[in-house]
Amino acid sequence: MSLLKANNIHKRFQGVVALEGVNFELKSGEVHALLGANGAGKSTLIKIVSGYHAADEGEILVNEVKIPFNDPKASHKAGIATIHQEHNLIPHMSVVDNVMLGQWIGRYGVVSEEECRKKALNAINRVVPGLDLDLYGHQLTPAEGQLVEIARALSEEAKILIMDEPTTSLSPREIERLFNVMRDLKSQGIGIIFVSHWLEEIFEICDCVTVFRDGRYVGSEDIKNLDENTIIRMMVNTDVPELSPQKRNPGKEILKVRNLCKDGVLQNISFDLHEGEILTIGGLVGAGRTELARCIFGVDDYDSGEVLIDNIPIPKNSPRAAVKVGIGFVPEDRKGQGLARNLTVRENFTLSLLDKVTHLGFISKTSELDISNEQSAALKVKAPSMEANIMTLSGGNAQKVVIGRWLARKPRVLILDEPTKGVDVGAKAEIHRLIGEFAESGMAVLLITSEMPEVLLLSDRVLVMREGRISGKLNRSEVSPESVISFATAEEVVY
Amino acid sequence: MNSKSKTGFIQILRSFGRKFSDLQGLLIAILVLGTVLSILSDNFLTGNNIVNILYQATIVAVVALGQTFVILVGGIDLSVGSLIALSSVLSVGLTVNNGLPPWLGITITLILGIIFGLAHGLAVTKLRMPSLIVTLASLSLASGLAYVYSEGQNIIPVPEVFETIGNAQFFGGQIPVFIPFALVLIIISYITLTKTRFGRQIYAVGGNQMASRLAGIPSNRVIVIAFVISGLSAAVGGLMMTARLQSGSPIIGSGMELTVIAAVVIGGTSLFGGQGNVIGTVLGVLLLTMASNAIVLLSIPPNYDKVFTGLVIAIAAALDIYRQGKNTTNMSRLKRSSSGKEVAKNSNPKTEQNNSNVS
Ligand SMILES: Nc1ncnc2c1ncn2[C@@H]1O[C@H](COP(=O)(O)OP(=O)(O)OP(=O)(O)O)[C@@H](O)[C@H]1O
Ligand SMILES: [Mg+2]
Repeated sequence: MSLLKANNIHKRFQGVVALEGVNFELKSGEVHALLGANGAGKSTLIKIVSGYHAADEGEILVNEVKIPFNDPKASHKAGIATIHQEHNLIPHMSVVDNVMLGQWIGRYGVVSEEECRKKALNAINRVVPGLDLDLYGHQLTPAEGQLVEIARALSEEAKILIMDEPTTSLSPREIERLFNVMRDLKSQGIGIIFVSHWLEEIFEICDCVTVFRDGRYVGSEDIKNLDENTIIRMMVNTDVPELSPQKRNPGKEILKVRNLCKDGVLQNISFDLHEGEILTIGGLVGAGRTELARCIFGVDDYDSGEVLIDNIPIPKNSPRAAVKVGIGFVPEDRKGQGLARNLTVRENFTLSLLDKVTHLGFISKTSELDISNEQSAALKVKAPSMEANIMTLSGGNAQKVVIGRWLARKPRVLILDEPTKGVDVGAKAEIHRLIGEFAESGMAVLLITSEMPEVLLLSDRVLVMREGRISGKLNRSEVSPESVISFATAEEVVY
Repeated sequence: MNSKSKTGFIQILRSFGRKFSDLQGLLIAILVLGTVLSILSDNFLTGNNIVNILYQATIVAVVALGQTFVILVGGIDLSVGSLIALSSVLSVGLTVNNGLPPWLGITITLILGIIFGLAHGLAVTKLRMPSLIVTLASLSLASGLAYVYSEGQNIIPVPEVFETIGNAQFFGGQIPVFIPFALVLIIISYITLTKTRFGRQIYAVGGNQMASRLAGIPSNRVIVIAFVISGLSAAVGGLMMTARLQSGSPIIGSGMELTVIAAVVIGGTSLFGGQGNVIGTVLGVLLLTMASNAIVLLSIPPNYDKVFTGLVIAIAAALDIYRQGKNTTNMSRLKRSSSGKEVAKNSNPKTEQNNSNVS
C-alpha cells in the first residue's frame, strides 16, 4: 500500500528547471532513500511535499488523497513530518520550545510548560539523551541543533517522516542511535524518506532507492538488487575516478601551534604543520576540532598558548591578521558562517579575494567572473548563473562555492573543516583531487574530517583529538581505521 | 505534591531571575538616574512626583506594549504617534462636530486603529512590503487626516466621558485611573507573551519566520495580529491623551513613535525580532519618563531637553550592550561547558564538549 505518492512533479524557478516530471512512491514500513548529485532536485521535491513550495504541475497523494500545495500546515495535518536540509532552529527559544515548535500543548490557548517539557524530554532522550533542555537554539552545536530538529519531527508522531541529509553533522554514535530510532519507527509501519550522500548509510538503513539526475527521475529499485557502483552510475551517469593515496615530500615547518588552551574546550594543544603536507585531525564530532580551527584562524579567542607562522606569533582573535599571513579557513557550518546571504554566486566566490579583484580601488567584475567561472567549472558547481542569489543554490553547491573561494586564493595554510560534508560523490572525488594537488604544489593543509576514507586517502600524518586533547599522533604508516578510532574513543570500538 | 509545587515555584523564580538578569543594565540606569535626581532635587522622591511620573508613563506604556508585539515579530510601527493624533481629533470630533453619541465616536476610533493595524499587517505579509515603509506612509497619512479633519484646530470642549475618565481617581483621590488601567494591560500582555500559545508563536515567527511557517505556525496571521494590537493600542493611547489634555488635538503624539520605539528597544527587545519582553518595555518607558521629569525638576532649558533625552537613551543602550557582551562571552560559555560536563557524566562521554559559540 502506498503511503505517499508524488506524480509527475514539475518545478522551475525563474526559468531554471529544478524538477522535470519526477515520480516517487513511499510505502509504509520502509526506509526509502532519495539519491542524486548536488542540485538533482531532492530537496526541491521534499519542499514541495512538505508544503514549502508549490509544484508547477503534478500532484502529491497521501493515502491516495491529494494534499494542497504551499500549505505546510496541511502537510503536517496529513501526517508528514519533515527535517529540512537547512537548519530551522529558533535562536532565542529553549530546546523545549524548539522541539515543540508549533505544537505546544495546552488548554484554552495557554501553554502547559510541564507537559511540553515532558514531551520534549521524551523525544530528546531518544536521539540526544542528556542535552540541557534550557539551552537556547543559538547555543547549540550544529550536531545538537540537528538532533533537536530530529526530536521535533519525532515528537509529531507522524506517519511519514522525511529526513533531508540528517546525518551530515552527526558523529557515528549519534548516527547509530538515529538508525535505531528509524528501525523502531519502521516496525511501527511509519514510512521514512532518507537523503544522504553517504552510500554506506544507504546500504545500512534503507530498503529501497529512488534516484534523480538533473531534475529527472532515473528509477527506483530494491536495495538488494543494487551495488555501490550501480547507484553512482545512476546518479552521475559516468564513473567516478578512483583516487589512490599520493606520496608527498613535506618541506619545512610553516605553522606551529604551541600549548593552546581554552577553558573547557582545548587542553594544551601543540603540533607543527609542514609545507606540502596534509595533516588530518581525526576524532569524533564534538572533540574540539572545530574550536581548534576557529582559534587558529582567530574567529574565537583562547586563554593561553601561541600560534606561529614562520616562527612569528600571529595575534589572536583576528581573522584579518590570519588571512594576511596566509591562512585560509573553510568553516564547517557553511550555510551559516561561510556564505554572505543575498549576495550573488559571483560575489560569494570572491568574498575572500576582494584584494585580488580590486584595481585602483574598484572591483573588477571581469576578474571576478574569471575566478568564479574557473572555480565553478573545477568544482562542477550547478548554478543557474554567476549572478544568481547564493541562497537559491542547492545545499551541496553552496558549499562548493565556499571551498572554491579559498582554493582560488591559494593561501599558504588552508584549514578545511569537513570539506566534503553534504557534497555528492562526484564532487567529493574532485575536492579530494584538488586538495591533493594543492598540497603537492607546496601548500600546507590542515584537514578536519570525520570520514575515514578521506583520512586514509589524503593524510600524510594524523592527529586524533578526544575531549579537547590530542590523544594520538599517527604517521602515514600507522594510519588505519582501527588506530584512529581507538584514539578517538579511548575504548576499542568494533565496527 | 508538595515538592512538585515547590519545584514549580522555584522554576518560576528562576525564569523570573533569568528575565531580570537581562534587564540589569536598565535597572542600574534607572537607579542611577533616580539617585542623581533625588540628590539634585528635593521634589523627586515625593509621593506626588512619583504618582506624576507613573501617570505620565501610562500613555507611553500602553502604546509601547503594542509596539513590543510588532518589534517581537521583526517589524516596526512608525505610525503610532500620528494614530494618537488621529484618534484624538476623531474621538472628540465625531461627537462635537458630527453629533454622534460619545460611545459610538470612541468605538469608531478604536475600529480605525484596528483597521490601520490590519492594513499594515496585510501589506507586510501579502504584499511583502517592509513594515518601515508601510508604517512611514501611515505616519504621514494619519497625521494628514487628523489635520484635515480638525482643520488644524484643537477640538473643544471634549464630551463629558473624557472629563470623567481624565479626572477619575483611585484610593481617595491619590491615584489616577490610568495607572491601574495600564497595569492591567501590562499584566495581560505579559501573560499573553509568556504563557499562551499565541505568545510562543510571536517569538517563533520573530526568531525565524521560515522555520515557524514550516512547523505549521500561521506566521502571516501572527504578524497581522501583532500589527493590529499595535494599531489598537495607539488608538487607546490617543483616547487616554485626549482625556488627559481635555482636548482633541491634531498635534498631540507627534514624534511619540520615537519615544515608544526607544523605550521598547532600550527595554531589551531586539529590532531583529524574537527576543525581548514587556517588563523591559515598561522599565524602558519608566526610564524615559524619569528623564523628561528630570527636565522639569532640574529646570533644564527647553532647548536642551532633547539633548538630555538623547544622552539618556545612548547611555542606557551602551549599558545594555556592555551587559549583553559580558553575558554572551562568559555566562553562556560557562553554561555550555558545565552542561557538557553533565552530559559527559551521564551516559556518553563523547557527546559535545565542543564549545562553538555562535554569534
Ligand atoms: N529558491 C530557488 N530559486 C532558484 N533555484 C532554486 C531554488 N531552490 C532550488 N533551486 C535550484 O533547483 C535545483 C535543485 O536544487 P535542490 O536543492 O533540490 O538540490 P538537491 O538535490 O537537494 O541538492 P543537494 O544534494 O546539494 O542538497 C538546483 O539547481 C538549484 O539551484
Ligand atoms: Mg538538498
